[in-house]
Amino acid sequence: MQITFREADTAIVAQIAGSIDGLTSEALQAALLGELLKGHHRIVADFEGVDYTSSAGLRVILATVKEARRNGGDFRLAAVRPAVMRVLQMSGFAGIVKIYPDAEAAVASFK
Amino acid sequence: MRSSSRITLVAEMETLGAFRAFIERTCHAAGITGTTVDDLKLAVDEAAMNVIMHGYADMDPGSLMLELDIGDGQVEVTLTDFGHPFEPYDPGIPDADTLLEDRTPGGFGLHFIYQTMDDVSYRTDEDGNHMVLVKKLGAA
Repeated sequence: MQITFREADTAIVAQIAGSIDGLTSEALQAALLGELLKGHHRIVADFEGVDYTSSAGLRVILATVKEARRNGGDFRLAAVRPAVMRVLQMSGFAGIVKIYPDAEAAVASFK
Repeated sequence: MRSSSRITLVAEMETLGAFRAFIERTCHAAGITGTTVDDLKLAVDEAAMNVIMHGYADMDPGSLMLELDIGDGQVEVTLTDFGHPFEPYDPGIPDADTLLEDRTPGGFGLHFIYQTMDDVSYRTDEDGNHMVLVKKLGAA
């Protein structure tokens, strides 16, 4: 799994690629919490390159959503592939996290 | 045509990706694709992660054996470990408000196993703990 960050308008876009599982989720959580600690509370996770997530990834999403919202921001997803979307739907997460067709739309949603 | 394949690895997080790749290769070789493969990968990943995190807690990580039997219109997966036994159950999922309030929600993994598989069973004997998952082919 790879994660890179870029600034876009008032948000930070985390571009994630690869699989999120019990091995990789800790690094993802640490990277996202690092951005929150820097005061970046509006984060978009670009999931275009994410081919798989297990419950380990859901725990990262939930923890990041809660921390961002606690600070007046939000953690929003973009470009979620069908296989990953199924997992979000099975867990009820599709109703908790805001999901956008692409990163641009997610960034624009913060305006 | 029936086929049976197995792989044995150490019960550590690095094994999860290797198991998913093994499932994908084995299923594709048998002409099985699509969400059936996605479901098998997810269910085995969650079951294996539980063993790695809890089954071998306070122990050196032992072996984790994955066996795939394809035939009779189904894929039967047996995951065997030699750690602490853990009888699986479906915890369901909490509603959205509870998810957002609860500090450390868990149980998604078990829920995914029951959501994606047609049958889940578990037994412990002198040869270890065996979780048996059945996915029927051609069923939605």
